[in-house]
Amino acid sequence: MGEEILVSLKVNGQERALAVKPNTTLQDLVRWHLDLTGTKKGCEMGECGACTVLMDGRPVNSCMVLAVAASGSEVTTIEGLSVNGDLHPLQKAFVKHGALQCGFCTPGMILSAKALIDSKADPTEEDIRQVLGGNLCRCAAYPRIVKAILSWKEFEGVPLDTRPHTPEERDQERDHAVVGHGVTRYDGPDKVSGRARYTSDIRLPGMIFGKILCSPHAHALIRSIDTTGAKKLPGVLAVITGADVPETRYGVSPARYDEHVLAKERVRYVGDEVAAVAAVDVETAERALRLIQVEYEVLPAVFDAEEALKPGAPLIHPEDPRYAGNVNTRVEWNFGDVDKGFAEADLVREERFVGSRTYQAPIEPHASLARWEHHGPKLTLWSATQTPHYLQQMVARTLDIPVGSIRVIKPAVGGGFGVKAETTPLDLCAVILARMTGRPVMMKYSRREMFYHFRGRHKQIMDLKIGLKRDGSITAVQSRIVLDGGAYTSYGVITAYYAGSMIPTLYKIPHYKYDGLRMYTNLPACGAFRGHGVPQPRFAFESLLDMMAEDLGLDPFDVRIRNAMTPGTRTCNALDISSCEFGATLERAREASGWAQKKGRLPRGKGIGVGCGGFVSGAGYPIYRSDFPHSNAMLRVHESGQAVTLHIAAADIGQGSDTVLPQIAAEELGIPYDRVWMAACDSTLSPVDLGSYSSRVTLMGGNAVKMAATDVKNKLLRVAGRRLGCDPAALTCRDGRIFVKEHPSVGIDWAEVAAAAFSEGGPVVGTGSYRPPTTLGGDFKGGTVGTSPAYSFSTFVCEVSVDLETGFVTVDRCVDFSDAGTVVNPVTFHGQVEGGVIMGIGETLLEDVVHRADGTIANPNLHDYLIPSIRETPEIISVAVESFEPRGPFGAKEIGEGCLVPILGAIANAVYDACGVRVKELPITPEKILKGLQLQAAGRVAARVEG
Amino acid sequence: MEICDFALHRPASLAEACEMGRMLGPGARFLAGGTELLPDLKQRRDVTRHLVDLRSVPGLRDIRLDSSYLHIGCLATLSEVAESSDVHKTLPALSEAILSMAAYQIRNRGTLGGNFCGGVPSADTPPICIAAGAQVRLAGVDGERTLPAEQFFLGPRKTVLDPGELLAEVLIPVQPARSGSSYQRFALRRATALAVVGVAARVALEKGRITQARVAMSAVAPVPMLAAECSGILEGQSPVEEVFERAAKAAALASRAISDLRGSAGYRRDLVRVLTLRALREAAARAGTRPA
Repeated sequence: MGEEILVSLKVNGQERALAVKPNTTLQDLVRWHLDLTGTKKGCEMGECGACTVLMDGRPVNSCMVLAVAASGSEVTTIEGLSVNGDLHPLQKAFVKHGALQCGFCTPGMILSAKALIDSKADPTEEDIRQVLGGNLCRCAAYPRIVKAILSWKEFEGVPLDTRPHTPEERDQERDHAVVGHGVTRYDGPDKVSGRARYTSDIRLPGMIFGKILCSPHAHALIRSIDTTGAKKLPGVLAVITGADVPETRYGVSPARYDEHVLAKERVRYVGDEVAAVAAVDVETAERALRLIQVEYEVLPAVFDAEEALKPGAPLIHPEDPRYAGNVNTRVEWNFGDVDKGFAEADLVREERFVGSRTYQAPIEPHASLARWEHHGPKLTLWSATQTPHYLQQMVARTLDIPVGSIRVIKPAVGGGFGVKAETTPLDLCAVILARMTGRPVMMKYSRREMFYHFRGRHKQIMDLKIGLKRDGSITAVQSRIVLDGGAYTSYGVITAYYAGSMIPTLYKIPHYKYDGLRMYTNLPACGAFRGHGVPQPRFAFESLLDMMAEDLGLDPFDVRIRNAMTPGTRTCNALDISSCEFGATLERAREASGWAQKKGRLPRGKGIGVGCGGFVSGAGYPIYRSDFPHSNAMLRVHESGQAVTLHIAAADIGQGSDTVLPQIAAEELGIPYDRVWMAACDSTLSPVDLGSYSSRVTLMGGNAVKMAATDVKNKLLRVAGRRLGCDPAALTCRDGRIFVKEHPSVGIDWAEVAAAAFSEGGPVVGTGSYRPPTTLGGDFKGGTVGTSPAYSFSTFVCEVSVDLETGFVTVDRCVDFSDAGTVVNPVTFHGQVEGGVIMGIGETLLEDVVHRADGTIANPNLHDYLIPSIRETPEIISVAVESFEPRGPFGAKEIGEGCLVPILGAIANAVYDACGVRVKELPITPEKILKGLQLQAAGRVAARVEG
Repeated sequence: MEICDFALHRPASLAEACEMGRMLGPGARFLAGGTELLPDLKQRRDVTRHLVDLRSVPGLRDIRLDSSYLHIGCLATLSEVAESSDVHKTLPALSEAILSMAAYQIRNRGTLGGNFCGGVPSADTPPICIAAGAQVRLAGVDGERTLPAEQFFLGPRKTVLDPGELLAEVLIPVQPARSGSSYQRFALRRATALAVVGVAARVALEKGRITQARVAMSAVAPVPMLAAECSGILEGQSPVEEVFERAAKAAALASRAISDLRGSAGYRRDLVRVLTLRALREAAARAGTRPA
């Protein structure tokens, strides 16, 4: 059965004849047989569009086409679009407009667009939305994708360059040559051409494939595992179970390492890892998993955080008395005297809000590839990770390998949003299996396995109480939050603290009490997701603030402005707010949105709402205690003097740090951006950086890079000073020249000086390192969480339409005013904001991972778990309100996470304005709204008084 | 996510395809566009050992219009149907229904035959075809049979097809003069999301009266269903809101919706009412503008 069949087809203009098995997909044919890895594997079920190729000119999902069915066709992959190395105008348009972030969906997106322009050279925006609906982009670069396609003709016959494209992308003029300019992404050309290699695109000689067997039970004891059948299957090279992995537990927070590489005796959720197999191909590995026989003793399970708290609930971690009552983390914070604060209030209101379990759903699945080097003690691990350093540490610690023997390489990463910020069983099993077999082992999750591995947003049940004076001033806030953490800790300790710590950063709150309780349940573990712990409490806060403003007859903006944070404030929970233009974001958003004309004045079914947010610019303290600087950079000037290489292990996962960091280097060095090379993110090449989490890279990595550049610059200025016969202090660099500040015409070529410096003294290298101020945070338990050198602030206003007969919500248009300090790159900055807005729309209106009564997931795929498509994209106006952050490089701070935080509350408020229905439980589905409308019609709930 | 191992067969004729299908038994499935089939194979929904590739059978991809029927071969892709001028002429709402469903990539591969044979209760093309009075022509080892489209479906993923039998074509009768059709669908996301509810309506008018009316629905019963009650309420009446309201309520009452991820049974019934109303309004408006 399944004899190989000859398939003849034309791929990118070349005739090909290949013998393949009938069950080979066109996707595997192009990826594995032809090594055209620009065709991505995102879901393998025809749901994401990342594998789109053109078949006889029409886009198809190559995962949904059998190779044999493509016989006789003409197939175009992304690699076929550029001719003689010159990018197709569409590809150039994507690069120039910043129409990509992580780049994983980009090849498919461009091919769909190619088919469109081939049939209609001047497509309308509606055409684009119609044709690209099946190409999901989790970074949500949709607005820029539309722009790029609309303008593709402008790029015909134009060479690609890296200079800023559209001047209007610049927010304000500062006297910088590179910083503040929308230079093109460093990784743009590779990502639009399919050349960028992600972990699962890598092929090594002798490489084999691993898969993990997961528990079908939510809670059970493992009685026995029989791997005999699996081991006997031809093609299987190794099978491991809990008995073969170390006793050492791993995790994220050192205080709560609670996971074994593979379950030892107990499984705690459907999906818990039980055994792993390495085999010659994925098909064999999957077959072997089905031959492993596990005998379970099924135990009662608990799936609800509040149920887990009740006496008699099944104990999920009975092995550790710290987790008695299933409490994973308990936070008890009391700042000031809330009783006093509430007594001073004219209005006190308490409401319960409930969040949902949402999943990051990056389009690139998790993948790891491990190889032991030189038949010996050294290990190379390629991983789709946001945090290469923590991965290196965790692998070393868990598997007892000296850290110095581990090399971690982060290839291109197709989106993370937090889900790739921790060590996975893939990483650990790949290392173990590679050691056992002596072969490189590639492991990857399927889309379904990603949902079960999870580490998405915690569902938070929030009882929030606010006290307001008649004029809207906040007198006190009390928050009690129960977080459903799932079966393991992951980032959850930090999540539980973040859920409380960030509330006092936007508004001045004199008295604040927070009780957080993170519960274990028999569900997949929750972790860190963009805005870590903050979006749901912020949704609750912004909703309740609006409800109370209405009670008091106040305008929602007035209430926010009255309490708005100001620069140089120490919050009640001892966080130091440095730069802050929050007030300005409020004033400008109010003006630009036409609030005065619209609020309460739109026809029924239309509404406007405001929400605010913000986030840390990097966590003030690392995840595990260490003394080393958080970000470190080296710059090496090439011998020619014509280029420099920046070595920094910051992890670009699509957010654009590989663009922003060389910009900062170029600015400080005084050379054009395109003279900076980025060294690969490889622990043997670059010094430690803690990675991409807590929105830390622009500020922390940027500071390290700037310092390294200053170091180089000072060396060059000394050489130049000798050459020009002047004091180095009188010199400066810009645009590739070193010159006398007072007499710019007196100068010398930068490269010439750099080459001379090398000739004189050998390699010209600069180093820089950054550590946050050590004084951050209060002296109380958990006082470190929420600390940061700087905070972002934003105000978001959106207009929605509600279909009063179905409850369907459309977000029509919105404005976002964000204070992220100096904007280093306006294109990537606005791309982050737009992406955050759209992700926020998904989280508010669509997304919820649903579990059945047995703990299985009802929607573990992109077909049933709906994330926003290009057709959910509203008109977004994003404006930077630039403060100057003294602790940031050139005044910069974060944007990537804060931009998502205000969206949920703003949409909830807009829906209420549109139809008078207040939904306090996420997601705000049409069904919930319709139910509210029906109650309203029945007179059981007062309809909103029309303004 | 790997596809199970199978043998591929390539019949040269319809008769041979049917014969193969029967001989190979329940472990065999017909391959058309593959967009319904491949997810099944990847998830190992059932044991498939043989695929009979219909693409080698000539003539199954044709779309043609004769004096009484629009014939759509089972292998015509959804995009081909949506773009066909004969479809635009005969039943433009079918084209609209297709453009409202699935991703462009899927429509470029998936076939009308597959959308029927998958037997998915929320499939979008059956209701509009049923409302238009379509028939299906089935070919099997013992010959052919033709039946009304609404009788093709037996339950979720179950159809009347016998082993070795396949859906050769969908026949859409040339629509009555002064008639109009509409398909209204509600999904939680605009692009590529399954319908929570879909309602199709066809209305024919004469001298200010409804002479014929058919309403069919998806995702509210184990099968795409005809709301026969609606015809009785509508026919002979004036096309006015009050009449549509009564029909919409009857459709809601007739629906046998269940609760699932996408919506509760009650919410679905509410949607049936709203969408039926919208479909009737649009169909009647279109009928009014069509020449007699």
